[in-house]
Amino acid sequence: MTKNKNSTIQEKIAALEELVAWFDSDEFTLEIALDKFKDAEKLASEIETDLSQLKNDIEVVKQKFDQA
Amino acid sequence: MENTTSPLFTVSDFIALTNQTLEYAYPSVQIEGEVASFKINQDKYVFFDLKDDNGSIGCFMTVWQLRQPIENGMKIVVTATPKLTQWGKFSLTVRALRPSGEGSLKKSFELLKAKLDKEGLFSPERKRPLPAVPEHIAVISSVQAAGYADFIKIVNDRWGGLRIDVAHVQVQGTDAPDQIIRALKYFNEQEDLPQVVVVIRGGGSADDLAAFNDELLVREIAASRIPTLVGVGHEVDESLADMAADVRAATPSNAAQIVVPDRQEIIRSVRYRVQSVLPRTTQAIETKRLELQGMLEHALASIERQMQQADEQVLHVRQVLAQLDPNVVLKRGYALIRGEQKVGSSIEIETHRAIIGAKVERYDEK
Repeated sequence: MTKNKNSTIQEKIAALEELVAWFDSDEFTLEIALDKFKDAEKLASEIETDLSQLKNDIEVVKQKFDQA
Repeated sequence: MENTTSPLFTVSDFIALTNQTLEYAYPSVQIEGEVASFKINQDKYVFFDLKDDNGSIGCFMTVWQLRQPIENGMKIVVTATPKLTQWGKFSLTVRALRPSGEGSLKKSFELLKAKLDKEGLFSPERKRPLPAVPEHIAVISSVQAAGYADFIKIVNDRWGGLRIDVAHVQVQGTDAPDQIIRALKYFNEQEDLPQVVVVIRGGGSADDLAAFNDELLVREIAASRIPTLVGVGHEVDESLADMAADVRAATPSNAAQIVVPDRQEIIRSVRYRVQSVLPRTTQAIETKRLELQGMLEHALASIERQMQQADEQVLHVRQVLAQLDPNVVLKRGYALIRGEQKVGSSIEIETHRAIIGAKVERYDEK
């Protein structure tokens, strides 16, 4: 469903933010930085693909407004 | 001689017949004229004369039908039904009116703006923010209008995954305000409420855009449960609907830019965010490299120091050993005797320069 796709992108962006924030946190260690960076790159790539593919669902409502 | 074919009426019947005839001939007329003798009685009934240089007609309407303020001297167009009253006075029963001409439109606009502003409808404190990334929006517009096409195109270019419910309404003319009001009510009554309701209309003359200065419509926008975004006309156009909305867009295209984020911008931002971790990582690598280099230098210095200490120890031992060398002692004038040390024994005496054979002639203990 469209709503879920959009939510998933939001979730992925939030996950990416969290990953990026890790690099500035006290938990940063060089040993796992490379893995984290690879994860971030993968997530960014997924977000880009998702964003490029999403379409809007436009529907003209059946209700008529020309009469009270 | 009396014409016997002429019908005979009572006064009331004649008035009724005249009204029937008028209704048949002119079920609805639009008349343009200037307002005079404007007054409101009991806060319910509106009376004024509509006049031009050569004539004047009395007009009547109710206050709730007066959707845009008028005052004496304003030029207006009334939509009305002609009627003969029971007192024999001819008047127009006005169903709707609108200011006519730039001056009257502006005057009406200013009057209503002042009234609604006084009530706080345009107050900044009333404004609600729109969701940054909506998933479900409602659009009120004419689907045949160029402004609507611009809006949809830009929204589709900028974002996806959005549910857009569209209410097709007239966006100009007498019926437009009521249709937009009904559409606003419709969306506000939905169980699954849209997160934003967008009201759009492209550019037009002041008269075309007058629908968006309708008092009831402006109040409905202000009362909407759903946050509102209104984009009417061009950049320079200003409507009361704009002012009552939570967010004003300069044009329908601008409304599209406001209501959804730009996916290209987000993609750029995401890329930037990922790249932004590189300096931190590079710095960490550099710090680690310097740390390792420091450790290495420290180790080397320690080894050098220990080697130097070992060299010094070897030198000292060599010096001690050198002192113990028998040749050195011999050089100092001493001699080394080998053989049995008793009288009559042959012995060997080694000096610095020679080895001498000798016999022991005397041997005394010290």
